[in-house]
Amino acid sequence: MPNRGRTKTDVLQGTLDLMILQTLDTLGPRHGYAIAARLEQVSRGALQLNMGTLYPGLMRLEQRNLVRAKWGVTENNRKARFYELTAAGRRQLTTEKAEWDRMAGIMQTLLRGQE
Amino acid sequence: MSGLREWGSRLWSTLRRRRRDRELEEELRLHLELATDEARRQGYSPDDARRAARRRAGSIPQAMDALRDQRGLPWLEDLWTDLRYAARTLRKGPGFTTAVVLTFALGIGASTAIFSVVSSVLLEPLPYEEPGRLIRLYQVDTDDPDDLEFVTGVHFGHYRDQIASFEDLAAVYTYRETGADLEMDEGAERIRVLYTSASYFDVLRTQPVRGRAFRRDEETEVPPVMSDDRQNEESQSPIVILSDRLWRRQFDGDPSILGQTLRLSGALRTVIGVMPPGFSDPVIGQVDAWLPLNLRPGGSNNPGNHYLTVLGRLRSGTPIQTARAELATLDRALAERYARQADEEHAQILPLQEDLVGSASRTLQVLLGAVGFVLLLVCVNISNLLFVRGTTRRRELAVRLALGSGGGRIVRQLLTESLLLAVAGGAAGLVVAKSGTAALVSLGSASIPRVDSVSFDTRVLVFATAVTLLSALLAGSAPTLGASRAAPGDALREWSRLSTAGRRSGRARAGLVVTQVALALVLLVGSGLFMASLYRLQQVDLGVRTDDVLTFEVHLPAARYDAQNRARFHEELARRLERLPGVQKVGAVSKLPATGSYHGWPTRAGTGPLAGTEDESTGAQHRVVAGDYFEALAIPVLEGRSFDDRDDADAPRRVVVSRALAERLFPGTDPVGQRVEIGGDPAEVIGVAGDVAIDPEGTVTRYVFHPHRQFAVAANRNWALTYTVAAAVAPETLIPAARRELAALDPRLVLYQPASLAASVGRGTAQRRFTTVVLASFAAAALALAALGLFGVLSYSVRQRRRELGVRMALGARASDVRRLVLGHGATLAASGIVIGLVVSVALTWVLGSLLFEVSPLDPLTFASAAFVLGASALLASWIPAHRAAGVEPIDVLREE
Repeated sequence: MPNRGRTKTDVLQGTLDLMILQTLDTLGPRHGYAIAARLEQVSRGALQLNMGTLYPGLMRLEQRNLVRAKWGVTENNRKARFYELTAAGRRQLTTEKAEWDRMAGIMQTLLRGQE
Repeated sequence: MSGLREWGSRLWSTLRRRRRDRELEEELRLHLELATDEARRQGYSPDDARRAARRRAGSIPQAMDALRDQRGLPWLEDLWTDLRYAARTLRKGPGFTTAVVLTFALGIGASTAIFSVVSSVLLEPLPYEEPGRLIRLYQVDTDDPDDLEFVTGVHFGHYRDQIASFEDLAAVYTYRETGADLEMDEGAERIRVLYTSASYFDVLRTQPVRGRAFRRDEETEVPPVMSDDRQNEESQSPIVILSDRLWRRQFDGDPSILGQTLRLSGALRTVIGVMPPGFSDPVIGQVDAWLPLNLRPGGSNNPGNHYLTVLGRLRSGTPIQTARAELATLDRALAERYARQADEEHAQILPLQEDLVGSASRTLQVLLGAVGFVLLLVCVNISNLLFVRGTTRRRELAVRLALGSGGGRIVRQLLTESLLLAVAGGAAGLVVAKSGTAALVSLGSASIPRVDSVSFDTRVLVFATAVTLLSALLAGSAPTLGASRAAPGDALREWSRLSTAGRRSGRARAGLVVTQVALALVLLVGSGLFMASLYRLQQVDLGVRTDDVLTFEVHLPAARYDAQNRARFHEELARRLERLPGVQKVGAVSKLPATGSYHGWPTRAGTGPLAGTEDESTGAQHRVVAGDYFEALAIPVLEGRSFDDRDDADAPRRVVVSRALAERLFPGTDPVGQRVEIGGDPAEVIGVAGDVAIDPEGTVTRYVFHPHRQFAVAANRNWALTYTVAAAVAPETLIPAARRELAALDPRLVLYQPASLAASVGRGTAQRRFTTVVLASFAAAALALAALGLFGVLSYSVRQRRRELGVRMALGARASDVRRLVLGHGATLAASGIVIGLVVSVALTWVLGSLLFEVSPLDPLTFASAAFVLGASALLASWIPAHRAAGVEPIDVLREE
């Protein structure tokens, strides 16, 4: 088994999950490319998601039953896999958002305090 | 929960891997296409657009790799890969694979076979309802607490009625195997009958499936051996319960059997019940018919006559201690009440299962331990083989390590290989176990209780699986760890340079060989001690001739033979048998020598210096003899004479005594002409015979011999006689002729259990023989494995050291020096193993103590022989590699460089 150090992907993992869930919550069912494009657009090009990061992330969410995927057709008539939130995914998003806010608050206080 | 779900989803994807792979690729392709479209929209040329898209989104194969990690269960896929890889590797080395699988099969098979016997005999509960509550009750003479005795009818009655701790108590007559002749139209057949109390069926919680069990008022039948004709006439309407087997075989399962009559040993009996199939007696096993035992006070049921086997069932929730305490109280009262009629006795109870298994329990534990040693040896042997292989595969593994394979990954790969080998070995081992178990059952049938119930059940299969996994781990771990720790640099360097083998692995292998030799020595010592015991047993002087003597029993039904007829019949049959060609002398006796005690009666001196003195402990063994018994068994008549025609029913009672009895009762006087008193009846001593052993171990006891012609009439007892036919030919060849002579006198009689005297006596040593044979085969296997291990290590080391040896020879070493070098290596290994093995044996053999006969567990001769045998085999195993080493041509080796 190749070495499994903490790669960039692993560090990103928690945030990436949250970003995908939030995107799907905002836009409704979307395929992988649309999700990546949306994140790129929102971050003004700062977040360029590699397929090797995005799709394992989607698969992980699918395995945990937070999103589900269906084959569908894009507006250009192409076959694509559309991801949408499940009920569990929606609940998870709420908890994680709250958790994020709490964490961000702590970080903010901490960093401000140090200034 | 979500962890479980993820795991399940991963498992699912693993199983339908290919389909998911296609879907994922399709998804990724779309992603790239969309990214390309986007780039085109921004004005890139088609080629540039594709490149830009790939920069932005990455490549499909890369993403697929990441997805595969996320998707499936990597270890499961690895396992599958490992298994396929292992199978491929093992197929490539069929010799190696076969050797390992067969060795595994031997170890796993042998341990499974032994375990299947242990499981059925020791672990499996008795086949009765709530068997944990079953007990066996003995009586013990307070002066001699080691001697467990049968129970008297009187004491049984008190225990049955007065002890509240027992739900019920049953009496069985098993003092001697009881048989009866079932007389059918087509001839007679001897069947096994059991005389029991009515409570027997309640204690064992098994009732007849047809009809009913005995009632208490039907407990009236006196076994013929104990009865005189007067008592037999008392049972008015005799009844019988049949076994399912007898009912089906003799009566074709006739549903209207109840109420029908059959003729058993000359008397008509009414069938009142049929037992369910498979029901057997816990003590004697298969029984054909049950008869209600006479338990009324009086006659045989006096407080001094111990003859009953007593089984009981404790009340639910009552601990055995409560029953013991209750019995102790009652025994004090009984001792007072019967003080004048019996010695002071008390009851002793044991859990029935413990009582039945008895000495076999120790034997089986020893065998289980021994087979554990064999298994360990097998694992070490395989470890060794895997080591050799590991060394030849060092380069392959080093390359894999250098290319980034984790050490753990390689450990798993190698363990998978040994697991695969062990599983194949385990499968083959089941075949070995199956035939091994059959062999054990037939070998142990005479000496191991319950061995006929041995079967391959779930417990045995679970055991076999556990042993398989354990041995895979044991055999696989040492070489695996060695291989995975190898520094890739070293191994790769060795690749380019012919070099001596890694020191560490060489030392580890030497350690394994030493272990093998030590294990083999322990087994050799153990089996050697048993062989020495058996040898001593065979040297024991029993006081009789055992070669070429045919024995068989003849039972005369009381209904057709009165005392006079019985006396006449046996003399007539003896004369007829004597006329057969090849026959030298014919006699008969009520119980064969060296097969245990039988009628032990108090016997006193009526005359001489000890006349009239009270000597309560002189219970002598009483035997009834007919024909030329002493001559047939070559028992010398030391003084006086043996019996002849003068000693008939009209003459005064006469006996021949054994030398030990003469010395005890008539010290310093001529015993001939003196009188003995047996239960108050006087008899004249007319001769003194040589001492005869009571058991196969040669224990001498005191005997009184009665002439059958007098005894049958005077005591009016119907004792079966066992014939002793001394022959000049192999005794078994006389059986058909003997059968013809018996039929000529009475076609309805059965020639029962014909066997040579040696075999009849040998039954007493069967358990020791069983242990010896099993241990000896283990030791032989161990010896072979250890020798092979040594051979393997030396051959390998010679191959590895070819260059060194060549150089040595080029520098002037002679072939004999090289040979000595290799032999010395082997001798060092063997000697270390032998020393360790001796130490371990000294620490272990004491457990065999109680199973040995006249051999100390530290018998120096056995220890020395075991060491010698092992040492000699080790030298033999070293010889071929040494010879090969001596044949190395220095010029060839140097040229190879």
